[in-house]
Amino acid sequence: MLELLQQGFGAVFSLNIMLLMLGGVAVGIVFGAVPGLSATMAVALCLPLTFTMGPQAGLSLLVALFVGATSGGLISAILLKIPGTPSSIATVFDGGPLMEQGLGVKALGVGIVFSFLGTIFSIIALMFIAPQLAKVALSFGPHEYFAIAVFSLTLIATLSAGSMVKGLFAGTLGIAVSTVGIAPVEAVRRFTFGVSELNGGFSMLTVMIGMFAVAEVIKLAETGRHAVRNKAGSVSMKQIKGFGFSLKEFRQELPNATRSGLIGLAVGILPGIGAGTSNLLSYIVAKKRAKQPETYGKGNIGGVVASETANNAGIGGAMMPLMTLGIPGDTTTAILLGGFLIHGIQPGPLLFVSQGPLVYTIFAALLVASVMMLFMEFYGLRLFIKLLDVPKHILLPIILVLCVVGAFGLSSRLFDVWSILLFGVLGYAFVKAGMPVAPFIIGFILGPMAETNLRRGLMLSDGNFASFFTNPIAATFLGLALAFVLWQLYSAVRPRGGVLGQALRT
Amino acid sequence: MTTANKKELTIGVAMLGASIAYLVMAYRVPGHDGIDAATVPTLLAILLCLLGALQTLSAIGNRARPAAESDADAPEQTSASVVEPLTVLKTLGLILIYVVLLGPVGFPIMTALYLYLQFIVLTPVNQKVRHLLYAAIAVVTPAVIYLLFREAFDLLLPAGLLNF
Repeated sequence: MLELLQQGFGAVFSLNIMLLMLGGVAVGIVFGAVPGLSATMAVALCLPLTFTMGPQAGLSLLVALFVGATSGGLISAILLKIPGTPSSIATVFDGGPLMEQGLGVKALGVGIVFSFLGTIFSIIALMFIAPQLAKVALSFGPHEYFAIAVFSLTLIATLSAGSMVKGLFAGTLGIAVSTVGIAPVEAVRRFTFGVSELNGGFSMLTVMIGMFAVAEVIKLAETGRHAVRNKAGSVSMKQIKGFGFSLKEFRQELPNATRSGLIGLAVGILPGIGAGTSNLLSYIVAKKRAKQPETYGKGNIGGVVASETANNAGIGGAMMPLMTLGIPGDTTTAILLGGFLIHGIQPGPLLFVSQGPLVYTIFAALLVASVMMLFMEFYGLRLFIKLLDVPKHILLPIILVLCVVGAFGLSSRLFDVWSILLFGVLGYAFVKAGMPVAPFIIGFILGPMAETNLRRGLMLSDGNFASFFTNPIAATFLGLALAFVLWQLYSAVRPRGGVLGQALRT
Repeated sequence: MTTANKKELTIGVAMLGASIAYLVMAYRVPGHDGIDAATVPTLLAILLCLLGALQTLSAIGNRARPAAESDADAPEQTSASVVEPLTVLKTLGLILIYVVLLGPVGFPIMTALYLYLQFIVLTPVNQKVRHLLYAAIAVVTPAVIYLLFREAFDLLLPAGLLNF
C-alpha cells in the first residue's frame, strides 16, 4: 500500500498537475462560497476541461474541486450568514454570532482548520477501509448489486427533504427516465420515438448539468431582480497569528472534532445522505454533549467545529461506495462518477485490482488538495470575499454558456445541449413543486444498474424471484430497505419523532 | 381551499399526468410476456401512478383540515421575495433561441448576443443597465471560451457564420 501511495504522490507532484489542482481548489472554494453555486456545479462545469487530459490529471482536478467546494461553504456561512451549500447550514448557527461579536477571523480560522482535519481524517479512513471493502465487493454478483441499488435508492428517496411521497416519486421518475434508450439484455428500443440520438439514452452529465446548473439560472430569473444582497462582512487579517485561535482552544475542541468526524464519516458512507445531514446531526450531538449547551447558537466555536469537521469528513465517506461499488452516495459523487466514466474508468471493486496506481493517485490528490485548501482558503480569504460580490446577473448567464459548452463537448452534438435545456426546465419544475432533485439523479444513475442486475439475477435463477431472498447479503439489504420504509412511515404517522429523525428530515 | 393546498393538488395532478403518460408508453414497448424489456418500465409506471394518486388524494383530503400541515410545507417557501414569472419566461425564451440558432449562426455570435440580452433581462430592479460593460463582457467571454477550447482543449464549438 505504501509503495502504491508513493507512486500516487509521485504522479500528483508534477508541476502540471499541481498547478491544475491549485486552480481547482481555488475555483472549488469560490463555488462553495457563493450561495447558489455548488460543488456539483463546479465539477460539472470543469469536466469539459479534463476531456483531453489523462485520467490522472483530470481526476486530480475534479477531486481538488470537490475538496475546495465542500469547504468553501463556510466562508459565506460566517461572513454572509447564508450557508453557501446545504453542508454548512449548522456553521451559520455559531459562525454568524461570532462574526457579529467581531470574532469573524477566529470563526473562519477554526472552520478552515477543522475542515482540513475532517477531510484528512476521512481520507485516511477511506484509504484503509476502501481496499478491504473492494475485496468483499469482488465476490458480489447480480443479486447483491440489485439489492444494494434498491437499498441506496430507498434511503435517498425517503430521507430527502420534503414529503416522502415526493421523494419516492422523484427517485422512481429518475429510474423511469433512465429506461430511455436501448434496453439491457435483449436490446429493445424503449421510448426513443424514432430519434436515433435517444438510442443511448440521456447522458448522465446532461441530466446533472441541466438539473443543477441550468435550473439554477432559471431560478435566479424568478427572484433575482428583487433579491436583497447581503454585503459580506469585512475581516481584518492584521495581527493574526497562525489561524486566529489558540492552542488551548484547539485542544478543548478535539473530543468534539473526533466525534463529529466519526459522525460525518459514517453518514457520508451511507448512500443518499451526506454532508447536508451530518453537519446538523453532529451540531445537535455536540450541543447535547457540551458543558455549557446554552452558549451554542450564541457564538461558541464548538458549533463551527462540529459542523465543519462533519461535513468535510463526508468527503472520504462518500468516496467509499463510489470507488468500491460504483454507487454514488450523493449528487457530488454522482457527478464525479460521470467524470470517472468520461476518462474510461468504471468505479467498482475491479478498480482496485486493475487500476491500483490510479486509485492511489486519487488518494494522494485528495490529501494534497486538503493541504492546499487549508492555506489558500485562510490566506487567500480576502480575494474570495471579493469574489462573493460578483453580481449574480453577470455570473449565472456565463455559467449557462459554460453548461452549453460542457454539454456540447460530451460528444460534439447539439442533441446534448437540448437535453440540458429539457432537464433544466424539469429541475425548475422540481424546485417549484418542492420535489427533491437528489433522488431523481441517484435514481437515474442506479436505475440501469438495478434493472440490469435484476434481469441477470433472474436469468441465473431461471426467473425465480426467491433467489434474491435466499442470498444472505442481498436479503439483508432488501430487508433493510423494507425496514427503512416502514420506519419512515411509522415516524411520519407519529409526527415530531426523535432528534435524529428531525435532523435527517431537515 | 387554501393556496398551499391548491398547489399540492396541482402537483399531484401533474405527477399523475406524467405517470399515466409513462404508463401508456411503457405499454407500447414490445414484449409483455414473462420478464422482458417491458417489465421494469411497467412496474415503474405502476409505482409512479400510485405515488401520484397518493399525492392527489392527500391534497384533496387536506382540504377538510386546512391548517393541519401548514408548517410542514413551509420551509421552501421564501414568501418575502418577489416572484417574476415574466422574467422566467424571457430567460427561457432567450435560452431557447440561443440553442436553436447555436448550430446555424455559431457559438461566438450567438453567445455574445445571448449574454448581452440575458444580462439586461436579469439586471436587478435597483441597478442601472450598463450597456457598455455588458457588451464588453458579452464579446470577450465567448471569444475567450471559443479560442481556449479550440486551441487548448481540442473542442471545436460550432463556428457557424464566423468560419475561420
